[in-house]
Amino acid sequence: MTEELKTFTLNDDLWQELLELTDGAAAPCFQCGVCTAICPWGDARPDGFSVRGILRAAQLGELGELESLWLCSGCLQCEASCPRGVEISGVIQSLRYLLWRRRSSLHNLPSVLWSCYWNNNPLGQPPSARMDWAVDLNLPDFDPSQHEWLFYVGCTASYDRRAQEVARAAVRVLRAAGVSFGVLGLDEPCCGESVLRLGHRPFFEDMARKALAIFDQREVKHLVALSPHCYDMFAHEYPQLGAEFDVQHITRFVADLLEQGRLHLHAGDPVRVTFHDPCLLGRGNGEYEAPRTILKNTPGLEFAPMQPEGEDGLCCGGGGGRMYLETPPGERFGDTRVRQAQASGASVLATACPLCIACLEDSMKVLGGEPMSVLDVVEIAARHLEPA
Amino acid sequence: MSRKKSRLELPEGYRADQAGQGIWVYLEHRDGEFASVSLELLGKGRKLADQAGVELSGLLLGDSVETLGESAISFGADEVCVIEDPRLAAFNLEAFSDLVCQAVQEGKPGVLLLGATHDGRDLAGRLAVRLQTGLNADCTELVLDPARGVLISEVTGFGGGIIALLECPDRRPQMSTVRPGVFPLPERNPARKGRVLRIATNITDEIFATTVLEKEERHTVDLTQADTLVCGGRGMDGDFDSLRELASVLGGDVGGTRPPVDDGYIERERQIGQTGVVCHPKVALCLGISGAFHFVVGIEQADLVIAVNSDPEAPIFEYADYGIVADVHDFIPALLGAFESYRERAHA
Repeated sequence: MTEELKTFTLNDDLWQELLELTDGAAAPCFQCGVCTAICPWGDARPDGFSVRGILRAAQLGELGELESLWLCSGCLQCEASCPRGVEISGVIQSLRYLLWRRRSSLHNLPSVLWSCYWNNNPLGQPPSARMDWAVDLNLPDFDPSQHEWLFYVGCTASYDRRAQEVARAAVRVLRAAGVSFGVLGLDEPCCGESVLRLGHRPFFEDMARKALAIFDQREVKHLVALSPHCYDMFAHEYPQLGAEFDVQHITRFVADLLEQGRLHLHAGDPVRVTFHDPCLLGRGNGEYEAPRTILKNTPGLEFAPMQPEGEDGLCCGGGGGRMYLETPPGERFGDTRVRQAQASGASVLATACPLCIACLEDSMKVLGGEPMSVLDVVEIAARHLEPA
Repeated sequence: MSRKKSRLELPEGYRADQAGQGIWVYLEHRDGEFASVSLELLGKGRKLADQAGVELSGLLLGDSVETLGESAISFGADEVCVIEDPRLAAFNLEAFSDLVCQAVQEGKPGVLLLGATHDGRDLAGRLAVRLQTGLNADCTELVLDPARGVLISEVTGFGGGIIALLECPDRRPQMSTVRPGVFPLPERNPARKGRVLRIATNITDEIFATTVLEKEERHTVDLTQADTLVCGGRGMDGDFDSLRELASVLGGDVGGTRPPVDDGYIERERQIGQTGVVCHPKVALCLGISGAFHFVVGIEQADLVIAVNSDPEAPIFEYADYGIVADVHDFIPALLGAFESYRERAHA
């Protein structure tokens, strides 16, 4: 039996639209398929996720089934392996905008965007509660004449009770090192990462410009971000819109404090710790060393790498806007990641991203097996500020 | 596409002098009974009409619905315009849009209110486009500015955190769909007098683009409308039967966190939280739920949160108005027993 040949007519308008949306980013793809082969959905779902197919469709201007675009968790494994250097997750992110234009986004995604619009956070939380995490910390309002650094907390750590603990730990660490910093408090703008990842670039740029105006007005020169997601926005997207401030992720900042001798950690109970690389910190920004530096400079910790790690590390499943979408049981990357962590023999699973913590803790609760605590490296550092 | 238009002929008594002023309520009904939101709108519409000194009309489409028309008068309408045809027995979007649109163009109401039901939303959107007017969707309050004759609609947006006041100052009719349950049901007054106006129609088959072949009823779950929510988490250890029993005693709905949904103890459409449903119940009873943030966003807008968990450190207690440290497997039978003995005493 010969397979029936399919014919289709190229839609010039759509082709033009796709070219504009993606800025031609899909053009260099020569369809080798490494992206599909390496995509973690291949192991998680029976049908996998045809990244190659999406790039082909983007090249040809023939988009059929678009629902699968929402699968991408922006883990960047495909990009790291692409021999042609295609910015694949950027292409997928751009194509998602088509779904917004066609008003066919998934049911709860519009409310994420509306929440950013009305509440200044994607989580449907009241703007007035943005500083509740720090209610007893007496944090100073950022003042450029007094403070060198702006500590940018981000929405997740401002509202998510678990992530709030990370923000509080970061404050203890920064204070212990004598860092001169302040926060923007209720004025802190959402960076817009969720909006961009969900594909709505025009709204993202609108948010980012407003955020930039606040940073400019408050004369922010140096910003340290708690979440790799916000960090990624400030490091890569905001400069394109004119941002000139210097930005660091909290792990690099704390690692530098340790290496400069401004921060000293004390020995605690001996524990084995493994580390899960957040995608946007590692593959997104090449920062594999800083969190490991923190762990290795914490006396009493034994570092037990998990496999795979670093550039090959598996995503937690919470990026690319997937935090707002349900993943069927059995297909969650977090479950696999937790099993890999358990196999390392460690009793603590460290990471450096609030979304990773949420996904990994969820999987940890449900999976059973060797119980491990999931901690941010900053929390680990904070627990070693005083001699035991 | 050229379709033969169905023609409406307006009867004697159709008040042309009220053009651009009267308040109309689109009356939705099923199996011989009004949708409760339609009655709620008659109640609210009556107050607005009295305030503005205009008439309140109901618009009723269906097959043999005259008794319903009279009933609408007893709930507050001054007149009810009835379009009757056997083919209108079931809601048909294309045909109803055509007919309601024509009726509105002829009758020129100042305000047109519809329930924010599935059919009402469908209809309202089409009507607003055809009538080239605005539509305030899913409103939770209606206020009249008598000086300008402008209806101000309140919309609670985006999880209820925001209230927007919307008006349609220039175009007529001013259209709003209203969320069911926000206005009280009016008292029925059988002595009320009013007019039932039959609108003669010459309805062509062409306006029925779809035909109902078969009707299959399925009960879908809409937890966003639940007043009382009984939620279970992993701590229920899969015992959702007792949760359902408790919910039925309380007259509430059952919801769950992700793990019991994953394990198949409860349907996916009952999953509450960031990737499930965000609810606004009056009471949320959270049983065996630790209180992870992505669950809590689904119930934190409840008027009252009661949490039961054996772990006194569980984060859910931070969100609860009442926290009970107890094992849910002891707590639920005890609560059910308490209700049982209360009922016995009440009936004794």
